[in-house]
Amino acid sequence: MMSTAALARGLRECCCASLALLTGLSGLAGLSTLSACGGSSTPDRRTLIDSRDNYDPRSLDPALSTDVPTGRAVSYVFDGLTRFTPRAQVVPDLATSWELAADGVTYTFHLKHGVRFHDGTSFSAADVRHSWERVLDPKTRGGRGWPLYPIRGAKEFAAGTVSSITGLSVADDSTIRITLTEPFAIFPKMLAMPATAIVPKRTPPDFGEHPIGTGPWKFVAWHHDDYLLFARNAQYHDGAPLADSLEARIIPELSTAEAEFEAGNVDVLQVPAQESPSWESNEETRPLLQSAPSLRLIYGAINTTRGPLKDARVRQAINLAVDRGMILKRLMGGRGTLAAGVIPPSLDGYSATLAAYPYDTTRARALLKEAGYPDGIDIELWTSQSEQFPRIAQTIQAYLARVGIRVKLVQRDASSMREAARNGKTDIALKDWYADYPDAENFLYPLLHSANRGVGGNVSFFSDARFDSVVSKARREPDDQKRIALYRQADSLAHVEAPMLFMFFYTELYAVQPWLKGFTVPSIFTGERWTEAKIERPAKPAPK
Amino acid sequence: MTIYIIRRLLLAIPTLFGVLVVTFLLLYVAPGDPVQEMVGERADSATIARLRKELRLDESMSSQFTHYAGGILRGDLGTSYITRRPILSDVLERFPKTLLLAGTAMLFASITGILIGVLSAQHPDGWFDRIALGGAYLGISFPVYWVGLLLILLFAVTLHWLPPSGYGGIRHLILPALALGTRSVAFLARITRSAMLDVLNSDFVRTARAKGLSERAVALKHGLRNALIPVITVLGLDFGYYLTGSILTETIFSWPGLGRYVVNAISRRDLPAIQGSVLFLSVIFVLVNLLTDLAYAKADKRVSL
Repeated sequence: MMSTAALARGLRECCCASLALLTGLSGLAGLSTLSACGGSSTPDRRTLIDSRDNYDPRSLDPALSTDVPTGRAVSYVFDGLTRFTPRAQVVPDLATSWELAADGVTYTFHLKHGVRFHDGTSFSAADVRHSWERVLDPKTRGGRGWPLYPIRGAKEFAAGTVSSITGLSVADDSTIRITLTEPFAIFPKMLAMPATAIVPKRTPPDFGEHPIGTGPWKFVAWHHDDYLLFARNAQYHDGAPLADSLEARIIPELSTAEAEFEAGNVDVLQVPAQESPSWESNEETRPLLQSAPSLRLIYGAINTTRGPLKDARVRQAINLAVDRGMILKRLMGGRGTLAAGVIPPSLDGYSATLAAYPYDTTRARALLKEAGYPDGIDIELWTSQSEQFPRIAQTIQAYLARVGIRVKLVQRDASSMREAARNGKTDIALKDWYADYPDAENFLYPLLHSANRGVGGNVSFFSDARFDSVVSKARREPDDQKRIALYRQADSLAHVEAPMLFMFFYTELYAVQPWLKGFTVPSIFTGERWTEAKIERPAKPAPK
Repeated sequence: MTIYIIRRLLLAIPTLFGVLVVTFLLLYVAPGDPVQEMVGERADSATIARLRKELRLDESMSSQFTHYAGGILRGDLGTSYITRRPILSDVLERFPKTLLLAGTAMLFASITGILIGVLSAQHPDGWFDRIALGGAYLGISFPVYWVGLLLILLFAVTLHWLPPSGYGGIRHLILPALALGTRSVAFLARITRSAMLDVLNSDFVRTARAKGLSERAVALKHGLRNALIPVITVLGLDFGYYLTGSILTETIFSWPGLGRYVVNAISRRDLPAIQGSVLFLSVIFVLVNLLTDLAYAKADKRVSL
């Protein structure tokens, strides 16, 4: 129902025009139509209001944090040992520092002193062990244990075969030692994910409804499908939030969120790609817009195990045959950068010299012929119904037809499509990937390493010994520069092997109310915790 | 009448069992996998296999059904796969909100619709009748989400009279109830009008007029009372529309009702939540149908139960 938003904007202009006409005709010149149709004045409230959640969180329990609204709420109430900044940097949070021993696998994390949970109990190293055991415990049924799997014994604990995690030991109240199964230099980044956040020892059965953490916001209320309310944690260890409270409204329909924004009832709005031209061209709304490159790749996973798609030349031909630049401009409002590989421009390992496939139908046809398909091929392109995906899929279909690739479109709901793609039943699956943590590894490893074929994220079923060995080496490499060089190498290999139709990296666009200060559009979804945000009222005019 | 009610309630049992079987089978064959929804975008096959076993999804269809139906018989609708909360409490938390919205919309629709119908029937083809008929065509033709958006734009964004969306006091209720009721106003006005015209042309009305009764007494006492039967039927049938139509209305107006719960459950393949809410709604339907039949008897003494 996204297109209704465009209709809404049109109608709104009509409404405003006719209202202006009416007030003009009836001579009510005093009634200001400007304030009604343009933005609103600074609201008289002390609560920050978010409009981004479009469905109810699963739970507020970090162990169940597998979706965006849940992760976002968890990041308000809880802390991890590390956390993300809005610009997707990883900084210490409950840990003050950490060091890696010479063996390359033993981390010693030093924890902050004097931190208290919202219920007043103090935080100590034992809570870290307890929290992670809880996430991995089969009884929790969370399904989000993998960020902790690098720890020695974690997988066995999750499988229920051992009773404690051997790689986790509490040295003293403020020191915890973590031993990994093998060197994994980016491990501290994973400790900023919502799933690895720290919970207190006592977690009653309704903990997911009444969470207690150490984070900047205390949980106040959760009205399902309506809103979540948080209050400022004045004792927050890293500087209490500036605002009194934070409300996360749950608004399923985009046009409604837009109306709430225009009425001044919410402080930020995530503007979807297809709506961005109308927001950018409107002189009233343009100054409200802020953008940030997000860690989101939009791509078509090409199943490298099916028929003609086994041949890299065919996959390259597909990449050459689609004018991605045109799709980006026309269907996505130009919000993004073309992808040459899987590493986004804002992450280390991105290579500016690796150029995206050009739009070249002649070469595409030649490659198909060379691969032995002079008459083209028949494939199925799967897409979900969300956002612009169906329209992008139709456009890809039209482009591929020009080089003789006959595409049958299969449109399903997200759940059915995910299942089909993971079971290897799709030729090309048009989808996207949001980073869980800001590192090139979070794209290279889950999306294309053979260990993750299927449910792990690699629905291209790509299996390339050279690529695998470079990525595995990068994961183990402790030296930043050497690791980044390996990332680059892996990305170039992916580019040449073309296990996906590389589309684009998305650029996030937000509308932010003029009165909201200190809010930064986050590059990673849990990056902005609203601690610096506040509603700023204009200074009262001096009395005459 | 008590026997009638008991018999109807007993007859409801096979109906509900049928609903249970059909929903179970539909969900069993439908594509999509609840466990994959539970683990999110990145997972490992060991976790998936473990969850599948714990949720008994690796068992045979009959064994899954027996287990589920057994729970229902004990009054247990089960626990959501996704949120891990009991389905019954989730449903009971949201249903009153849907009922409030549907009830208000229905009240608004019946008062306005019947009033317009009665007035139109007074002077068929008069100016009021023509305008009302034209309005009715428009009302039936507008989809609820379009009406909803228009209402939000006019009353919330432009005039600032009412909040655009959300759940709260009466102010939050007005726009969604108007949006949900609009189609029904039109429908009820037309039904009432034609039923009234039928009645007003009948012999006993002529007698009533000959007795010297005022036109108002004729219309309300003799006319409307007898025209109510088809109106009650429509209201009863429409109740289903209110509950399902509320899915769209709840989405447009961010109303935290049962409709959105079901839609969310479907998109996340939360099987127990879907089955539980469908079963719950079926019980409501059965009860509403029963109430409709009882209302016939109340409105028309010739109907015996």
